[in-house]
Amino acid sequence: MKIKKDEVGWLLLFIAPTLILFTLFFILPILFLLASSFTNWDGIDAEFVGFENYIKLFNKKSFVRAITNNLYWCITAALITVPLGLIIALLLSHRSRGWKVFRTVLFVPQVVSSAAIAMLWAAVFNAEYGLLNYILDNIGLSDYKNHNWLGNVRTANAALIGFSLCYVGYFMVIMLAKTASISEDYYDAAKIDGASQIQKDFYITAPLIKSTFFLCIILAVIFNLRQFEYVYLMTAGGPANKTQVLVVYIWNELTVQRLGRGSAAGVIMIALGAMLLLLLRRILKSETYN
Amino acid sequence: MTKDNSLNFYSIFKWVIIISFVVYAVFPFLWLVLASLKTNAELLDNPFKLPKVFQFQNYSNAIQEAGLIQLIINSLVISTCATFLNILFASMCAFAIARHIFWWKNVLFLMITAGILVPLNALIIPYYAIINFLNLYDTRLGLILVYCAVGLPVSTFILTEFFKGIPKEIEEASYLDGCNFVARYFRIMLPLALPGLATAGTFQFILCWNEFIYAMLLTSSTEIRTIQFGISYFTNEFFSDYVGMFAAVVVSILPSITVFILFQERVITGLTAGSVKG
Repeated sequence: MKIKKDEVGWLLLFIAPTLILFTLFFILPILFLLASSFTNWDGIDAEFVGFENYIKLFNKKSFVRAITNNLYWCITAALITVPLGLIIALLLSHRSRGWKVFRTVLFVPQVVSSAAIAMLWAAVFNAEYGLLNYILDNIGLSDYKNHNWLGNVRTANAALIGFSLCYVGYFMVIMLAKTASISEDYYDAAKIDGASQIQKDFYITAPLIKSTFFLCIILAVIFNLRQFEYVYLMTAGGPANKTQVLVVYIWNELTVQRLGRGSAAGVIMIALGAMLLLLLRRILKSETYN
Repeated sequence: MTKDNSLNFYSIFKWVIIISFVVYAVFPFLWLVLASLKTNAELLDNPFKLPKVFQFQNYSNAIQEAGLIQLIINSLVISTCATFLNILFASMCAFAIARHIFWWKNVLFLMITAGILVPLNALIIPYYAIINFLNLYDTRLGLILVYCAVGLPVSTFILTEFFKGIPKEIEEASYLDGCNFVARYFRIMLPLALPGLATAGTFQFILCWNEFIYAMLLTSSTEIRTIQFGISYFTNEFFSDYVGMFAAVVVSILPSITVFILFQERVITGLTAGSVKG
């Protein structure tokens, strides 16, 4: 609808709250982050130090480890969690009896807070009363009787990744919803040709929800780049910084008031996110057109 | 699709996969509830056995000792206010964008929705500084503002898409009848967009209720603390009272699961319309 002259004021007034908050909590913080990353700001004084923060960060083993771990989370999500979500979505797309119940149940971890999920799974992995050790012990793997999954350098990352598979339902729901838009004609034609269910799933449904699958990969990468609660509450980045991730790293810098250094880590994180997004768009775009 | 009832390999595979993931997703929760009804000794002795007597006092203990009621009230107040403001602001902005023509509207829409892709947790240091600068550290208003702002890109996106889908005729008729801008928003658009508002609102509420890092960053006193940050204290405070911790976790997840069960269709359509979670 074209705007009448006397309504321009109202239009601006309607946009203003969102625009002000967006400026205050998106644009301004990013500029602020960039500016303070070149200083040695400690909450009181700030002096310009050039690229010192960046150089120091990249020379810190624990920081490089945080970046690698974040990438490790992103890659596992893209290569394991999302494809598993696709398989379950394909299976539930048959709409056999009870599919809605399974969909709901699998989605539940997504609506529970990350803090609660982290505490729950920390209990599952607990050495003294944990569910996992109890089960392993009972099926005869008694080596693991008092194994501290999250406290052990060898198993901490694997345990974190293993638990993150419980989020498969989120991606499944997105892809499953997309299958509803596929025309029945395809399946009817395939049936006449004598296609089996597995052929229908992998040659008709899967290619038709490819774009949603790619979207899920992008979402998975973003979520895993900014994840904080699991690592913070389950291992706090330990043992020996083995499970460190970027946001926990920034948090630790913040608590010791090395705000300039923390800001530099934040800038690196945003840059990494942007690079990953561009890279994924490139890869996935060329895929879609081939 | 026709039903294939024959028991072939693929359908066995299918049920094995589905059931094992259901177990993976739900079993820990069931165990959590079970464990929260035991004594600490029973839990350490055998994490999986049914308790002799269901220890419902774990819940009353957790509620009293950790002040769970206060934490829940704080979370409810903060989440409700933030959701209300978020939906109000986002719907106003979405109305302006979806229903009017002005030269910079695409730029505006693109800019706001690009906010969805920003890894916001990288910004904890500036948020800390800004909230301190506004003198809102350790206040409910500070958290409400942050939660409201953080959810704006997603809500604006969902609502703009929803508004675009509503037929223009009614609005145009009212426009010709002399209905002004504000009246068109309140009298025509909002009532027609109720399902969209419910979708975006449910999302925003779950986001606020579950939020952890800003709650930890921007508050310090117990009177303001939200439940998610509150339960994380259990790991320190009650370091030996595991069952009390489990009871508190169960209490903290009940509201979001309830909201989800009540509004599940909304959550799922919202997810597929926006395909985003804040």
